Amino acid sequence: MSSTTAPSSSVAAGSADASGARRNSKRPKYSRFTQQELPACKPILTPGWVISAFILVSIVFIPIGVAALFASRDVVEIVKRYDTDCIPLSERNDKVKYIQSPGNKTCTRNITVTKHMKKPIYVYYQLDNFYQNHRRYVKSRNDAQLRSNGSSDDVSGCSPEDYSNGLVIVPCGLIAWSLFNDTYNFSRNNQQLSVNKRGISWKSDREHKFGKNVYPRNFQNGTLIGGAHLDDSIPLSDQEDLIVWMRTAALPTFRKLYGKIEQDLQENDVIEVTLENNYNTYSFNGKKKLVLSTTSWLGGKNDFLGIAYLTVGGFCLFLAMAFTLVYLVKPRQLGDPSYLSWNRTPGWR
Amino acid sequence: METAINIAYACKLISNEMKQFIISSETDVIREVEERGDQVELARVMKEEVKKELKKCLEEAQQYFNTLSGPKLALVIDGKCLMYALDPSLRVMLLNLSLNCNSVVCCRVSPLQKAQVTTLVKKGARKITLSIGDGANDVSMIQAAHVGVGISGLEGMQAVMASDFAIAQFRFLSDLLLVHGRWSYLRICKVVTYFFYKNLTFTLTQFWFTFQTGFSGQRFYDDWFQSLYNVMFTSLPVIIYGLLEKDVSASLSKKYPQLYMEGIRNSFFKWRVVAMWAFSAIYQSLIFYYFVTDSTSTGQNSSGKMFGLWDVSTVAFTCVVVTVNLRLLMMCNSMTRWHYISVGGSVLAWFVFVFVYSLIRENVLYVIYVIMSTFYFYLSFLLVPTVALLLDFIHQGIQRWFFPYDYQVVQEIHRNEPDGYLRAGGLEISNHLTPDEARSFAISQLPRETSKHTGFAFDSPGYESFFAAQQGVYVPQKAWDVVRRASMRSKAKAPLPPKR
Repeated sequence: MSSTTAPSSSVAAGSADASGARRNSKRPKYSRFTQQELPACKPILTPGWVISAFILVSIVFIPIGVAALFASRDVVEIVKRYDTDCIPLSERNDKVKYIQSPGNKTCTRNITVTKHMKKPIYVYYQLDNFYQNHRRYVKSRNDAQLRSNGSSDDVSGCSPEDYSNGLVIVPCGLIAWSLFNDTYNFSRNNQQLSVNKRGISWKSDREHKFGKNVYPRNFQNGTLIGGAHLDDSIPLSDQEDLIVWMRTAALPTFRKLYGKIEQDLQENDVIEVTLENNYNTYSFNGKKKLVLSTTSWLGGKNDFLGIAYLTVGGFCLFLAMAFTLVYLVKPRQLGDPSYLSWNRTPGWR
Repeated sequence: METAINIAYACKLISNEMKQFIISSETDVIREVEERGDQVELARVMKEEVKKELKKCLEEAQQYFNTLSGPKLALVIDGKCLMYALDPSLRVMLLNLSLNCNSVVCCRVSPLQKAQVTTLVKKGARKITLSIGDGANDVSMIQAAHVGVGISGLEGMQAVMASDFAIAQFRFLSDLLLVHGRWSYLRICKVVTYFFYKNLTFTLTQFWFTFQTGFSGQRFYDDWFQSLYNVMFTSLPVIIYGLLEKDVSASLSKKYPQLYMEGIRNSFFKWRVVAMWAFSAIYQSLIFYYFVTDSTSTGQNSSGKMFGLWDVSTVAFTCVVVTVNLRLLMMCNSMTRWHYISVGGSVLAWFVFVFVYSLIRENVLYVIYVIMSTFYFYLSFLLVPTVALLLDFIHQGIQRWFFPYDYQVVQEIHRNEPDGYLRAGGLEISNHLTPDEARSFAISQLPRETSKHTGFAFDSPGYESFFAAQQGVYVPQKAWDVVRRASMRSKAKAPLPPKR
């Protein structure tokens, strides 16, 4: 209401210049903003602009798409599923019972390198059907406790993994409790390939999120063991496996960095993987996969960006040509008054 | 009655080509009965007469209406007959007749009858009614109509106090309707549909996430991002748009009054328009969600590290904010610097906020710094908004060229004309006033309180130039007036007849 009455009473005062002090009138002070007379750019989307925009997009996107696709194609990635194969045939009927039974569950698998892989080679574990993004899982942690020793008694939000035998658990919560505990050892031609497990987490996590003087306490002491045990003498900021695991993933199929192999792998090398099949994904039909991957400036093997850029660039080029064709076939003069609806329909009153 | 008809001719309500139906109480039959003095008889006779007249007029009008090229129709009825015509039994006939006519003039009506006529059209024809009046007798009519316009002025402020809109002169009604009313309709439609669109986009992106969380209800975005989306990051541009949007300038709006039909036809708020916005929102939300999540399924950068939930959602949120703001710019017809400031400011506010927030808040600690250290972020920041806006851009390109709205054609016709905001030494002249008209208009704006004269039979330059000069209105003095004033002893108190 006020926005419409103000202009209308100002329209009344519009044309004559007002010196308010002398006139004793109620006319509001003139300003270009209130009179809506601001200088404005009035763009009109003509065919020229449309076609230029499409051509510009395709010129920018196609090279980027090519670069991204090349980067992704350069990456060599090997994925090996091992959760079913690593259970001995005799136990395959009741996998859950097998995984929950105590004892050594070592398993050996062979991986053949398909292409030459330059160092560093990143080792990931990939889990399928594991909902790290479940609401109650995501909130089951206490960041204050992780960060500083002073708040180590703060376990709010961590239930049911907050107290064990009356004492607080550090780090508390379901996320820490379910820490992945399969281990991998690599050897090539009976020579051990060392896996560098330092620097696998984001620097900001190590420095700001996990404290240097917070030590695990009373961890995995309950009746239900969810995952790995932690060394009590190493502070949380150095427990990189924990840090990587606690950065909860967005999707139910995710992979997390396990370590780096700092050696080149040649084509047709046979890598022997000795893995400890400890983690229970069988209760919920999850899958476990081992991934070896190199990286490029863009990241891992993901064609999505490259293909998306190329598709969009190509589509825009096609649209530019299509629009040019259509504008030539069905031309319309800019500002043709015969397009006004009262000029088109006869008998308009 | 004759006065009323003359006035109607003067304001072009009735013209000579129109067929006039006159229902008057001054006929011989009625006068005879009046002279007899019997009130009951008079009432009965009048009612009969009115009924007869109405019927006759209605039949004639139907005939004219059936022939397509018939003349326009006008109805003139006076207060006494109206009293009987508004009777429940005759009301319908009156309404039908009035709706067939181009103009209806009712003279000598009482305030109550004014309101009754308005209500009759409002309820009977179910059309939007506007009534305008300047006196206390118009108050009931103003309140009865959908839109009541009051004119403030000589007769006091009663009409203004009862009205929805107040203007100072009757001729401002054309501005009110054709310029401001039309802009207001356009702005409201666009603001409302845009608001639903931006919230739909934002919410649907989260909605697609629920399918992949096991339906547990985990939020995709951080809490404060969600709360501040509508408050800080997307609110100001749409407010500026609603205040300042103009499809065509004021003078063009008055030059092409047929543009007003867009509002009557409700062309900007049809279900089809709303569905188009909703479809665009669904498409964009799919792009935001799937493009971002599919491209973060592997490691980022040459360090091979993986993004977590909050990293992915911050990338998506950034794309949403930028796209939604750019979409607003795409639908602007006139972009002032406030548009640029508000859109740029909103995106900047988002970045400033997230830089500060990710240093404080625990679960999204350092998130923005992590994602901005990857090449991936910049590539998707370029790709995702472009793809999201592509559909709307194509739609606009096709619609603008092949199915243009009337205002778009008018914009194109007048695309090369500059804005008509002239500044001429203190006196603003609208485009269509001649200098003489402008001068007399400026003089008419001068205060009446200091002058006892409201009209002049003579040309009195002394008065004009003296008071005009006081107000800063430039009025050139006539040569003989200079001589006259030079020969006067005192200041001009009352104008003297000019010595020609």
